[in-house]
Amino acid sequence: MHRKKFVLLIALLFAVTTLAGCGQKAARQRGGEQQSPQQPSAEGSENILRMAIMANPRNLDPVFATDTSSSRIIYQIFETLVDYDKDGNVQPLLAESWDVSPDKKTYTFHLRKGVHFHKTVAGEPTTNGGREVTADDWVWTFNYILNPDTNSPRAYFLDMIKGYKDYQDKKTDHIAGISKVDDYTLKIEIDYPFAPFLSVLACNTFSVLPREDVEKYGKEQFNFHPVGTGPFKFEKWIQDDKIVLSRNDNYWQKDKNGNQLPYLDGLEFRVITDLAMEWTEFELGNVDQIEEVADPYYAEAKAKKGFQETAEPATYFYCFNLQKPPFKDNKALRQAFNYAIDRKALIDIVRNGRALPATGVLPPGIMGYDENIQPKYTYDLEKAKALLKEAGYPDGIKVELVYNTSDTHKSIAEALQAQLKNAGIDVSLKNIDWSALLDAADKMEIPFFRMGWTADYPDPDNFLYVLLNSANIGARGNYSGFNNKKFDELTNQARIEIDQAKRTELYKQAEAIAREEAPWLFIYHYTDHMLVQDYVKNAVKPFMGEYTMKYTQVKLEK
Amino acid sequence: MLNYIIRRLIGAVPVILGVVAVVFILTTIVPGDPARLMVGQRGNPETIAKIRHEMGLDRPVMVQFVDFMKDALTFNLGRSYRNNMPVVQAILTRLPVTIKLAIFSMIIAVIIGVPLGIISAVKRYTWMDYSAMIFAILGISAPVFWVGLLAVVLFCKVLGWIPGTGLGNGELIYYVLPSIVLGVRPGALIARLTRSSMLETIRQDYIRTARAKGLAESIVIMKHALRNAMIPVVTVIGIETANLLSGVVVTEQIFSMPGLGRLSVEALLNRDFPVIRGTVLFMALLFVLANIIVDLSYPFFDPRIKYD
Repeated sequence: MHRKKFVLLIALLFAVTTLAGCGQKAARQRGGEQQSPQQPSAEGSENILRMAIMANPRNLDPVFATDTSSSRIIYQIFETLVDYDKDGNVQPLLAESWDVSPDKKTYTFHLRKGVHFHKTVAGEPTTNGGREVTADDWVWTFNYILNPDTNSPRAYFLDMIKGYKDYQDKKTDHIAGISKVDDYTLKIEIDYPFAPFLSVLACNTFSVLPREDVEKYGKEQFNFHPVGTGPFKFEKWIQDDKIVLSRNDNYWQKDKNGNQLPYLDGLEFRVITDLAMEWTEFELGNVDQIEEVADPYYAEAKAKKGFQETAEPATYFYCFNLQKPPFKDNKALRQAFNYAIDRKALIDIVRNGRALPATGVLPPGIMGYDENIQPKYTYDLEKAKALLKEAGYPDGIKVELVYNTSDTHKSIAEALQAQLKNAGIDVSLKNIDWSALLDAADKMEIPFFRMGWTADYPDPDNFLYVLLNSANIGARGNYSGFNNKKFDELTNQARIEIDQAKRTELYKQAEAIAREEAPWLFIYHYTDHMLVQDYVKNAVKPFMGEYTMKYTQVKLEK
Repeated sequence: MLNYIIRRLIGAVPVILGVVAVVFILTTIVPGDPARLMVGQRGNPETIAKIRHEMGLDRPVMVQFVDFMKDALTFNLGRSYRNNMPVVQAILTRLPVTIKLAIFSMIIAVIIGVPLGIISAVKRYTWMDYSAMIFAILGISAPVFWVGLLAVVLFCKVLGWIPGTGLGNGELIYYVLPSIVLGVRPGALIARLTRSSMLETIRQDYIRTARAKGLAESIVIMKHALRNAMIPVVTVIGIETANLLSGVVVTEQIFSMPGLGRLSVEALLNRDFPVIRGTVLFMALLFVLANIIVDLSYPFFDPRIKYD
C-alpha cells in the first residue's frame, strides 16, 4: 500500500516538473519575451559568425543600456546619425552629411535615403512593416529619449540641446531644439557651441527607433523585441545562453562593388563566462571570435594571425578623496604615492605587459595627450620619501585601499601594496563588490579607492571635464571631489571652443594641472585586443574598443 | 497520510515566510543601490532618483515587504531590475536546464554510489572496499571546477567525444559531461553512506535469521539488508536533489549552462532584488518539498514507519 502511494507521489512529481517545462514554453509565447516559435533563418547556416561573450547582456534597448555587453549587440541592430572611423574621428552613418552654422549652435543633418527599419523581429513582422526612416523618426526618437518619463540614463549627455531643461521640467511637451526641415533634413539647435556634440551623437543611446514598435512593446518589452535599421535583425535571446541575430536583407549599405551588405547570414553570441572555457571553445573551433583572452593563453593568442591589440581610450587609476584627510589639501602626499610605484614592473609582471603606463588622465590617441607634459611620474623612491616627509609623514603613513572584487584588481592592489611599502606607505586592502564601491564613492565616504574609466565618446571632454570638473563631483564622474578653479575654467572653455588647435592647447593645460595636483594615483592606460579565427576576414578592431565592432563587412572564408 | 501531508504543508508556511522575510531584510540593508548600477558608472543623480522611485525603492521597507508578499500570493514576484523580465518567467526559463541537470546527475550519483557502497560493505577490508572508498574520498574532495576543466579538456579537446560546452540546440549530449561532473560528489557521498548504513544493517539479528533460513546471499543483501539501509541514503538523495535543483553555480559556469545557479549569482551581483527574492523563495519551496517527499518515502523502506 505504502509502496503504491510512494510510486504515485513520484509519478506526480515528474508530472509537475514536466508541466513546469510546458508552462515555461507557454509563458514564453504569451509574453513573447524570449524567442519566436519559428526557427530563425540564420541558425543552421554555415555563414554565421559565432562569438563567445563573457556576460549575458543587461538590456538590448539602446535607450536604457549602459554596459558594454549590451552595446556589443546593440551596435549590430541599431544605427546612429554619425559614427567613428578607425581613428576615432566622426564620420557619416545615417546622416550623409551635415552643416554647422557659423555660431556653431545649429546642426543641419542631411539624412540618407533608402534606410529602412527591420521588417521582422524574433521571426514576427514588425509593426512598422519595414518602412523608410525619415526626419520625423529622428524627431520622435530624440523626444522619446529626452522625455523625463522615459528616464534614459544617458539622456543628460544631450543637456545642451535647446529646450532640454524646459522639457525635463515638463514645461513643454516636446524639445524645442529638434525639428524636421523636410523628410530628409533634421535640424538640431544647441544652447552653446559644444565641440564634442557630434561625438556624443555617435553614442548608441541615440539610435533611431521605430515609434510603432516602441509603442507596441513599451519600455518593458522593447528590450526583448529590439527593432532598428542595422545590418542584423534580432531573432532570439535565450537568457544566459545565446543571442541570435540574422542578416537584414533590406540593409541600405552596399560594398564598393555594389554587393549587398552584410556578407554574413547571421551572428550568434554565446555566453561563456569562464575564460578557460572561452579559450577551449576557440581552440576547438566552436566559436569564431572570443571576447577576452585570459593571461595563461595570451602568448599563444598573440602569435595567431587573427589577433589585434591597440591602446584603448581608457584609464585605470586609484582615486584620492580630496574632501577627506589624509589626502585633502595635501598635494605632496598624493605626489609621493605617484612617485612610489613602478608602473612598468606592475604592467610587465601583473598585467602580462597588456597595458601602457599612465602618468596622467588622458590616454594616448585622445586629443590633448602629450607624453611630455610635466610632471612625469617616474619611479623614484627617494623623491617619494622626500615628498612624504614634506607632506607631514616622515615616518610613513597607513591607509586603506578599497577595490571592487576581481582577481585582476586584487593582483594589482597586492603588487602596488608591496611597492608602496618600500616608500613607507603601509596600505591595507579591502575588497567590496562594484555596487557597494559605487555607492561609497558617490557619497565620498572612502579616502582611497579603485576606479577605471572607458570613454563614452573619444574626446578629452569625456575624461577631463567629466572626471575632474567640479560640476561633476560625485555620481556624475568626479569621484575624487577634485575642485580647481583654473582647471574648471580651462575645461569649461574647451567644451565650447570650436578651433581644434586652441582646444588641444586648453586640454594640455588642464592635463598639466591634473598631473601636478595628482587627484589620482595614475596607474595605466588599458589596451584592448580582439581575437578571431584566421578565416574571419575584414574584422578590424575599432578605435573605441572591440565591443563596438560592427560586422557589416565581415566575411568567413573557411 | 493525507492528514500528515496537510500538516507538513501547513507547517512549511512559517518556514517559507521566515526565509522570505530574512532575505527581504538582507536585500534592503546590503550596501549598493540597484538604481545606481542601472545607470552605469557615471550617472545623473536626478535620473538615479527617478529610477529608484520607479523601482519603488524610495518607499518604507515595511510597505515594500507587504506589497511583495501580497504579490507573491498571486505568483507575481515582480520584474527583474536588469531587463524587466517577470521573475517567474526568469525562473521558469532556467528551470528545464536545471531539472535535467539535477535529474541526470542524481541518476549517475545513485548508479555509482549505491552499488559501490554495497560492494564496499559486503567486501569489507578487501581491495574492492579500499578502491571504492578511495573513489569516494576523491569524489568528495576534488573541486568541481577542477574536475570540470579536466573533463572538458579530455572529452572535448583530446578525445573529441563531446562537441563542447553550452546547450547546443538542446541536444542531450551537452548534458552528459556536466551531469557526470556534478554526479561525482553526491555519488561519493551516497557510496560512503550506503556502506556505513549497510555495515550496520548486516549485523542485525534479522539478517542472521535470513541467512540461517538458507536464503541466497544476494537475496539477503538486496532484499533484506539494502532496503533497510536505504533510509539515511534516501534522505541524502532528497536533500542533494533539492541542492542540485536550486542551481549549481560552478558547474553551470564552467559548462555555460543557463540554469538557476547563474541566475541567482548574477542577480546578487547586480542587486536585482526581485530576482534574488524570487529565487530564494523558489529554493525554500524546493527544500520543503524535498523534505516532505523524503519523509513520505520512509514507509516504503521500513514498513514499521506509519503516518496515519
